Amino acid sequence: MMRSKSATMVRLTASYAVLVVFAIIAFYPILQIINISLRPADRLLSTSLELIPENASLDNYQELFTGRPFLVWLGNSTFVAFVVTLTGVALASTTGYAFSRFSFAGKKAGLLSLLVTQMFPATMLLLPMYIMLVKLHLINTYLGIVIMYSATALPFCIWQMKGYYDTIPVSLEEAGRIDGASQFQIFFRIILPLASPALVITALFSFMAAWTEYVVAAQILQDTELWTLPVGLKSFESNMTSEWGLYGAASVMVTIPVVILFLSLSRWLVSGLTLGSVKG
Amino acid sequence: MRPKDILRLSRWPAVLALVTLVSASAFLWNGCHRRDDDKIRITIWHQDRIDVRLILQRQLDRFMALHPEVRVEQLFKETEELRSGFIIAALAGQGPEIVYGPSDQVGPFEVMDIILPLEGLFEKEWLEQFDEKGRIWYKGHLYQLADKLGNHLTLLYNKKLVPVPPTTDEELVAVARRLTTDLNGDGKTDRYGLAWNYTEPFFFIPFMTGFGGWIMDDQGNPTLDNPGTVGGLNFIKQLRDVHKVIPNEADYVVADILFKDGHAGMIINGDWSWAGYQNAGLDIGVAPLPRITATGLWCAPMVSPKGFSINVNVSEEKRPWVIALIRFLMAEENQLESAKELFTMPTHKAVQSGEFVQTNEILRNSRLQIEHGRPMPVVPELRAIWDAMRPSYQAVLAGTMKADQAARNMQLMALRRIKDMNE
Amino acid sequence: MTLSNKARRRLMIFVMVAPAFVVLFGVVVYPFFYNVVLSLSNMSLLHIRDWKIIGFDQYVKVFTEPSQPDFYLVFVKTIIWTVVNVVFHVTIGVFLALVLNQKDIRGKGLFRAILVLPWAVPQLIVALTWRGMFNYEYGAINLMLTQWLGVEGVQWLRQPLEAFLAVIITNVWLGFPFMMIIALGALQSIPHDLYEAADIDGASWFHKLRHITVPLIRPVMIPAITLGTIWTFNNLNIVWLVSNAGEPGDQTHLLVSFVYKAAFNFYRYGYGAALSMIIFFILLAFSLTFMRRSNVTQNVYS
Repeated sequence: MMRSKSATMVRLTASYAVLVVFAIIAFYPILQIINISLRPADRLLSTSLELIPENASLDNYQELFTGRPFLVWLGNSTFVAFVVTLTGVALASTTGYAFSRFSFAGKKAGLLSLLVTQMFPATMLLLPMYIMLVKLHLINTYLGIVIMYSATALPFCIWQMKGYYDTIPVSLEEAGRIDGASQFQIFFRIILPLASPALVITALFSFMAAWTEYVVAAQILQDTELWTLPVGLKSFESNMTSEWGLYGAASVMVTIPVVILFLSLSRWLVSGLTLGSVKG
Repeated sequence: MRPKDILRLSRWPAVLALVTLVSASAFLWNGCHRRDDDKIRITIWHQDRIDVRLILQRQLDRFMALHPEVRVEQLFKETEELRSGFIIAALAGQGPEIVYGPSDQVGPFEVMDIILPLEGLFEKEWLEQFDEKGRIWYKGHLYQLADKLGNHLTLLYNKKLVPVPPTTDEELVAVARRLTTDLNGDGKTDRYGLAWNYTEPFFFIPFMTGFGGWIMDDQGNPTLDNPGTVGGLNFIKQLRDVHKVIPNEADYVVADILFKDGHAGMIINGDWSWAGYQNAGLDIGVAPLPRITATGLWCAPMVSPKGFSINVNVSEEKRPWVIALIRFLMAEENQLESAKELFTMPTHKAVQSGEFVQTNEILRNSRLQIEHGRPMPVVPELRAIWDAMRPSYQAVLAGTMKADQAARNMQLMALRRIKDMNE
Repeated sequence: MTLSNKARRRLMIFVMVAPAFVVLFGVVVYPFFYNVVLSLSNMSLLHIRDWKIIGFDQYVKVFTEPSQPDFYLVFVKTIIWTVVNVVFHVTIGVFLALVLNQKDIRGKGLFRAILVLPWAVPQLIVALTWRGMFNYEYGAINLMLTQWLGVEGVQWLRQPLEAFLAVIITNVWLGFPFMMIIALGALQSIPHDLYEAADIDGASWFHKLRHITVPLIRPVMIPAITLGTIWTFNNLNIVWLVSNAGEPGDQTHLLVSFVYKAAFNFYRYGYGAALSMIIFFILLAFSLTFMRRSNVTQNVYS
């Protein structure tokens, strides 16, 4: 008993040490960015290691919210990311299920073709993509951008959902069938809730695909009012002279919603109604 | 827990589906909805920073007040994206009516046939109001009308640390040596005499020219294997390794911070940077880059105009308004407005000879520097030159290559790159 | 199973799979074939509008054209870059997920929030911040090395090997949180009773890891690893930003830098397309091999 207690102590101490070290590593560069946002006169770097810059001020934040259309970009990005997330979750959860549970002609080819879409260097896709969107009258619309983003996010999301469904025993579905549930009900009422960690990952990934994407957005959105956050942030960065203070402040503001989203979805990522509690 | 119980517990997938439906329909409506008014729309793409954008917007607002039937929008694009984005859009038959940027974009745009020749669209007398350097001809046609001259490097000095700027390379070294000090005695240099983005070929040009070299001949053939390249390379190496007056490692950002924080007394930087240093509370002076004693030549930076080109896809009906807009933005009062706020060199002759440009200290020195400078070539091959210079230049700085070897390598690589480009 | 049941099942598969594939192929097919055609053409600065099909010349050029930096050297570097990054992403990610998944750790929410930050923050500014941290004189890393450990500072950005190391460190930092999130999700699919049974048998920590944890998180991790490899192979951004477009002396590049330069600096679209096709085939070959080896298309319980 004594031995196991001290073993627990060792394990816990080591665990906390690991977490603290990695937390510092993860946080230090972020601290630098917060620092940049507080420095006057667009100093991207500092020649000292001080944690709070000299003459720190919140001027950049004030300028960001009152002098620039940051809130418009925030609204646009939230809208686009939200739609892409819902599209991603809806399409990936169903497609992934079909790939996990059913066998049908072209299943392997289908799975592989998902990967194939990710292999081509994006640089060369820009010109044909633009020509295609011009032909479809989708330039300068959110519809165009949502379709592009969903297509970017889906391959990973589908694979990921399929992988997770694979770990859910088929016996659970059979139990549901005996209880009189239809195939559709089984999927919606039994499998989906059990796959909530995977749904969370799918949602986060789709959200980030839309939240951070720049190249396609810059090519498609040709109206300042339609700009999303990454395009807006880029406008702080012009040839040689960049407004690093604003860029830092905006980066902090852009990070916060992601962390909030992550924390609020964490509930379904790591606890609650999971397989761990159902099986057995 | 049994599956049956979960059945009752979980309602949220249904809620999710509902939300999807509602928001998707909301989005479709929103996404397809585009502002639809019957005004003539003109878009300008540019790569200018915020203070320039604000001035442009004021001028556009005035133009729209004069022409209520037109709606002009400016759109910022980062330099590389301005170029690649415009090429992609124009090849697809789209793109902004006007593209505003440095003159070296004229070369590739002309070859790809995506901008209009302008000489037939503006009358000769009107065109002649502007400095010759601001009218960019290429292969027999006028392709760009510039309202600003510059983008040129000068020597900037912190007046608190440098009362009188150096005018020769020897003075430069002397001033820089005096400034370079270890203030707190820890054995490390705390203040450098000079700092600049010296790993980038564009910032090397003044030294190449000071030692008598240039990048290409009149036909656009590279001439990188010249004594100027070797002399310039050795000079910079000496500044770092012998005189020890520049930092060991400096890119644009590092040099910028050192100068802003008073850790460097002088910096070599372009006209775009002046406003930022003044905002940072520095009392800066602008001086022409020094003369190299051994050759008797001034260090000559590249000078490039910035101006307007018209997209080849602009319809005949729209042209009159596009032309009117360019005429408006090129006008005397608008150029003067920019010069006063940005200290940029105007192209309008009347503004150039006007009181403000003649008497302002920064502009006077800027003008001297422009006179020493050399126009940036507009040929597409310029890209190949930069690309060929970079590796060998940096190899010399890293100490893995001799200067004369580097000059030969640059030349060979430039020839090869140009051949690849013109495949 | 009755016929109507079979038909219903087919319909269900179709309804589930079709929408995603319609979106995907609608977006991907045209650009892909456009590039296939382009790769066989001479589209370049001088032939931007009047390009024509010239066969496999561009492919030949990719392999034979003398280039600086050397094509094959960059290819090797790209493979090293990819392997090192993915290995660190996955091991750090899974390791942190295992630590965080212990029942008796307090402050999990806080740790999770901090550890996910590198993934959540905009990449451009963070890459430039890392570049600043690698500065020889003023960078935080060298200051820590000299002040705390008393060792000589490293010339991170001026020497090829160190610069390569610097971009890898930055990208490992950026990439581990994503794998951590996936691993956290994957760990939830493991029934607790499996561990309890193993405990009763007196199994060691390592034994449980090897025989329970790893096999059961595999189905979820393998897709992430496959795609992570593909993305990393083609991820130019971080390398470009941290090395200031390939410094020192154009030695810090990945294969995609060639594509980027060909298309945007030299307007060689035909060449760029051919090189893209080659990258595509390399990744396709990798994926096919990896997937066959890891047997990922099979259901674990079937």
